[in-house]
Amino acid sequence: MKSRSAQLLLTIVCFILGLLLVAQFRTQRMTGRPLLSASSADQLAMISSLVENNARLREEMEALEEQLSEYQQATGRAMLGALVQELNKIRIINGLVEVSGSGVEVTIDGPIGVLDIQDLINELRNAGAEALTVNGERLTLYSVIASTEDGVMIVNGMKPSRPYVLQAIGQPETLETALLRRGGLIATLERNYDGLAVSVIGRERMVLPVYKGAIEFVYASPIE
Amino acid sequence: MPGIEHESGALTIQRLEVEQEELKESIGRMREGLDEYRRELAANTEMLKEISAELERQKMMAGLLAVEGPGVQVTLDDSSIQSVPATADSGVYLIHEYDLRDVVNLLWMAGSEAIAVNDERIVATTSIYCVGSTVMANDTRLSPPYLIQAIGNPVSQEDILRNPAYLKEVKRKAELYGVQFKVNRMRMLSLPAYKGGFPIDHAQLGD
Repeated sequence: MKSRSAQLLLTIVCFILGLLLVAQFRTQRMTGRPLLSASSADQLAMISSLVENNARLREEMEALEEQLSEYQQATGRAMLGALVQELNKIRIINGLVEVSGSGVEVTIDGPIGVLDIQDLINELRNAGAEALTVNGERLTLYSVIASTEDGVMIVNGMKPSRPYVLQAIGQPETLETALLRRGGLIATLERNYDGLAVSVIGRERMVLPVYKGAIEFVYASPIE
Repeated sequence: MPGIEHESGALTIQRLEVEQEELKESIGRMREGLDEYRRELAANTEMLKEISAELERQKMMAGLLAVEGPGVQVTLDDSSIQSVPATADSGVYLIHEYDLRDVVNLLWMAGSEAIAVNDERIVATTSIYCVGSTVMANDTRLSPPYLIQAIGNPVSQEDILRNPAYLKEVKRKAELYGVQFKVNRMRMLSLPAYKGGFPIDHAQLGD
């Protein structure tokens, strides 16, 4: 613009704009040199510096974004979850936690011996039993159905009395079939013993208690 | 034109400084987020260490680790008698799966800490059974001679194995029909880890 009035008008507009800018800057609580009074050269220098600095900030932000997404993959958290799951499964197998689930309840009364109960336990395991109790005592790998020299049954240091109640968690139908099939164990026991009373009942849900003893290793050590 | 340069310069700077502020705020937030994740991971790492250690202990109890130690080795084999009388019950000349079960059970009773039969590690879900005339353990075929190795106190183990109140059937077959039953104390046994599966599909934690 060449005319004086146009220049004057522009100056006034600039001045007003400047005031507005300053006001805006002040509400944004930005400190800094008054821009409008800075020379063009200073402004250019500032712009150039800001552009460069913002580019660096953007790089930093992208690097942080990458780190964040790595953490979000959360190998720590996922690994923890997987480990806990495996730990719980092995605790169930070891008999060291209370468990619940479907299965069968076998009640036996009559002149049955310890070896027969051991055979029954073996049969139930073969049919996929995941947890077992005898008269409320949780069986573990180490706490087997033992016998005194006189043939009295001992389980976990206790002497269960008849009727013997065996609980096995697993698929009820599979467990029942394994025991009750023709020529199976129950059939054999009923044939061999007079006055044997056996019942096998499928259960939707049973709760088996934890093994209350301790499992310790004195002779066995892991091979490194 | 000085006026216009001032204006666009100032606006540009304003825009860039707004952008700068936003970038700084984002960076600040992300760093706080990372700190949070790092704190969680540190806590998790501690827990990871504890849980890993506990898992190793539980695996040891479950038979999932190879182990060594003193103990006994029980050898069971069919009778070596060549000519079995035709009218005889040939079963008494053989080792049956229940003989193996009885020895294994007895060894647990004696306080054994790990047992393997022909290198099949016995675990909580193991069943020893027969399919036809083939003996199976952990769903794996076993053939005679059967070597039952058990880590424990060799004296306690041998005592209970030789106690006449136990293993009457096996001892009778050994005495009368030549079935082989040997017990040896061992200074060092090495038992492999259980290599099968643990299908837990119905049992759940707690009530």
